[in-house]
Amino acid sequence: MTPEEELLVEQVVTAHRQRRGDGSIASSPAWHDLDEAGRLVAFDETARQRRLEAALDSDGFSSTVRALLGRIQLAE
Amino acid sequence: MSDALLEQIAAGDSRAFGQWVAGCEQSLRASLRKFASSVDTEAVLQEALLRVWQVAPRFQLDGRPDALLRFAQVAARNVALSEMRRLGSKPPAEELPEVAVAFASPDPLLRAAVVECKDKLPGKPRLALEQRLESAGGDDDHVLAERVNMKLNTFLQNFTRARKLLAECLKQRGVDLDAELSP
Repeated sequence: MTPEEELLVEQVVTAHRQRRGDGSIASSPAWHDLDEAGRLVAFDETARQRRLEAALDSDGFSSTVRALLGRIQLAE
Repeated sequence: MSDALLEQIAAGDSRAFGQWVAGCEQSLRASLRKFASSVDTEAVLQEALLRVWQVAPRFQLDGRPDALLRFAQVAARNVALSEMRRLGSKPPAEELPEVAVAFASPDPLLRAAVVECKDKLPGKPRLALEQRLESAGGDDDHVLAERVNMKLNTFLQNFTRARKLLAECLKQRGVDLDAELSP
């Protein structure tokens, strides 16, 4: 994996995602720039990262869970 | 059993929903691996879980265990397929089997090892990791990098380093994250 691809993977690993105009959750722009192998690496790294985040969180919540709760609170 | 939280979730208790998602996230994510080269599974997973939250007040148990989790798995698959159609992505390989979803409990031993390893990280990688943890998906990486006076690429490189060092440290303590992640 090239350094450029590693940077793309890192951008995909975050739980931060923008909303589309219709309110649905948009793909990471960096994900579109990865090839098939890079996308699989990003998937696996994300899964590992979420496990670590949940382990470090006092409630056992990963950044995906926190991002979801943030979206729910914004909508209420 | 994951349905124990259903009554609270249906009543609009978002914290109970968080607990429920924490228990099934790993398994649901693994069920999406077959779509990983066709769609951004993080976006798909978040979208599917928001739909579960919206449907929960009207959700009916079917007498079998983990009803909401099974519903979430179907929702995630449907969101993935819909996104594939939108993107014109090629479908996943047919031979890949469906992954059985299951509810998991926190692992206190893993938590202790991760906390210990995080404390050993050098300054900048630790700073980058902590920014992502504190932001919890709320901020773009440009914002996080600026907050700690790093260029975006430097921030991302430090985050990569943090993840690699954490994985090495955990391996030395006998924690195999890949085995831990097996569905």
